[in-house]
Amino acid sequence: MISAPSNVAASETDTTARGPLVLLLVSALGWLLVSGVLALIATIQLHTPGFMAACPWLTYGHTQAVQETAFIYGWAANSAFAVSLWILGRLGGAPLRGLGLLTVGTVFWNLGVTIGIVCIMLGEATAVSFLQIPAYIHPLLLVAYAAIATPGVLAWTGRRQQGTFASQWYAVAALFLFPWLYSAAQMMLLVAPVRGVGQAVVAAWFAQNLLSLWLIPTALAAAYYLVPKLTGRVIANYDFAPHGFWALLFFGAWTGTRHLIGGPVPAWIPTVGIVTTLVLLFHYVIVALNLRAGLGGGRGNVVLGFVSFGLLAYVIGGLLDAIFSFRVFAEVLQFTYFPVAQLKLAVMGAYSFLIFGAIYYLTPRITGVAWPSTSLIRAHFGLAVLGTVVTVVSLAAAGWVQGKGLGDPVMTFASIAAATRPWLLAATAGEAILLFGSIVLTVHFVRLQAATVCPAWGSTSALEASAS
Amino acid sequence: MGKHIRLGGIRVMKNGLLLFIGIFAAIGLSWAGLALGTNAQLGGLAPYYDQLENRAFPERAPGIASRGKLVYEDLGCASCHTQAVRRPGFGSDQDRKWGDRQSYARDYIHQERVQLGLSRIGPDLTNVGSRLKSPDDVFKLLYHGTAAMPAYAFLFEERPALAQPSPKAVGRSGDREIVPTPRAEVLAAYLLSLNSPADYPVEKAENTMAAVKKEGEHK
Repeated sequence: MISAPSNVAASETDTTARGPLVLLLVSALGWLLVSGVLALIATIQLHTPGFMAACPWLTYGHTQAVQETAFIYGWAANSAFAVSLWILGRLGGAPLRGLGLLTVGTVFWNLGVTIGIVCIMLGEATAVSFLQIPAYIHPLLLVAYAAIATPGVLAWTGRRQQGTFASQWYAVAALFLFPWLYSAAQMMLLVAPVRGVGQAVVAAWFAQNLLSLWLIPTALAAAYYLVPKLTGRVIANYDFAPHGFWALLFFGAWTGTRHLIGGPVPAWIPTVGIVTTLVLLFHYVIVALNLRAGLGGGRGNVVLGFVSFGLLAYVIGGLLDAIFSFRVFAEVLQFTYFPVAQLKLAVMGAYSFLIFGAIYYLTPRITGVAWPSTSLIRAHFGLAVLGTVVTVVSLAAAGWVQGKGLGDPVMTFASIAAATRPWLLAATAGEAILLFGSIVLTVHFVRLQAATVCPAWGSTSALEASAS
Repeated sequence: MGKHIRLGGIRVMKNGLLLFIGIFAAIGLSWAGLALGTNAQLGGLAPYYDQLENRAFPERAPGIASRGKLVYEDLGCASCHTQAVRRPGFGSDQDRKWGDRQSYARDYIHQERVQLGLSRIGPDLTNVGSRLKSPDDVFKLLYHGTAAMPAYAFLFEERPALAQPSPKAVGRSGDREIVPTPRAEVLAAYLLSLNSPADYPVEKAENTMAAVKKEGEHK
């Protein structure tokens, strides 16, 4: 069990990076709220198409693109930077260096994302999924990323031990893979687009790998770090961990094209995607095996609760991906809300929960102040679990109904819309709950930051809420 | 922590350089395989020259339609509409009269930004130009919307009606009439231009052969 960090216990390794890391986390939470509001508007527009229709910059196409951009490049990116840098610093065994660059990079990254989002609303979107920010802003983001990644590279190259931990492999992989992925996609889709449907293949490859090679490795870095810390047990069957890591990198990278089944591309392309999605089950088995101590639930520790739910969502999501990539299901579910539900399970259920766990764990350590209220953490956990389950289940059900409707040639789009409406209303409720949960987290985070300035704002208890 | 090292004492993981090379190999392979592989196979795809008609297919979109495509991208139409007809036996695309044949890679070679789309909240638009007959049909659809599609009223403007009402007007109230803006006009031109050419001999022959083979297998 970990001891409660008081002002004394927070080590120098953690506290030196406090300013830049808090800046990253504040930006991440701000974007989480923005994407939450937009997700709410977008789901309302799904069942009530007239909602905000008079507003040219909030057509469904725009809200959807902005929501996705705010979530991935805002919330997910900033939180991934904060968590992976903190882990690399921790495991490197020395305080993070290059913090000035990190701060400048963070400011410019968020400036770039903000300008990008305004441009999308004004009608400058690229119409490429997960790469909606106009081409002329991407160089700014890439340079900002280089600055943000510098402390991570320095922590990795300057690490004190020869041996490395699973957490570090995943964090380093995420750190190095993102710029490669991102610049390759920009070149082949926006700057010098490849011919014809080659674009669809590159777009599928990029969209999947943004998740499989960037966000998921970051979340797993957090999981491999937090599970032993929170349960007090070593990682089981650790010998297998490298196989799980390489399986994700080598097979996960090919899985995106499964969505192109039936499309105007050579048949081997979706087939490779489906086969690798099945082979990737091997990776999920190893992660479950390694981190089974953390799968068991919170047992009173709410931070472990976040990690458990995240791992569960990750493993279940992997299984669902494999099952529903089969032709017989894809025929019905392709182009429906079902893949949206699967994506939600991955980015909210798996990624965000693991990162929430990491934020609850690392914030008291970098600020030296405990979370003011355990009940607020529990409230966030309850809301986030409920919101995720309701949203994912109702979108999946809506997708199934929609897929069955699309398969029936005489069913009109108006009647499909009517049939999916109850499920889409439920999804809207789910998004509202998620947004409320994110507000709780943000308010709590702000209160903790206020407590670093004025201790009266903080917890009266000396115990750290996350340790329990 | 010490336990970690002992348990995970796999040589590769102690070597930072190998880890680094492995990471790049993973992404490099998938990139080469999927991105370069597809480009090698399809990058050289040429239009089909029809000697009888003395024209090459697919044809390039006229300038006004290209401008309309930008409006299509700007509004995010691809969030709800696909532009790819699937083959018979895989979904109900052709039963829904979305096209007489499946879409081929060749259909997209002239498109600067391919809009296959990921979602069918609305119908497929590959051949929408053959279903909607005139700009008027498109304007009415855009102005009024449907039960499943919002109205895009901001693509229209109100102006004083002249003695001779505009032929493009979608509505009239008193001495005012509602007419499409230039954006609506180019978008309509784009949508009306969407119509796949007839089957290409190469793809047709391949599909016929594949179908014959399949029948043979079943017997």
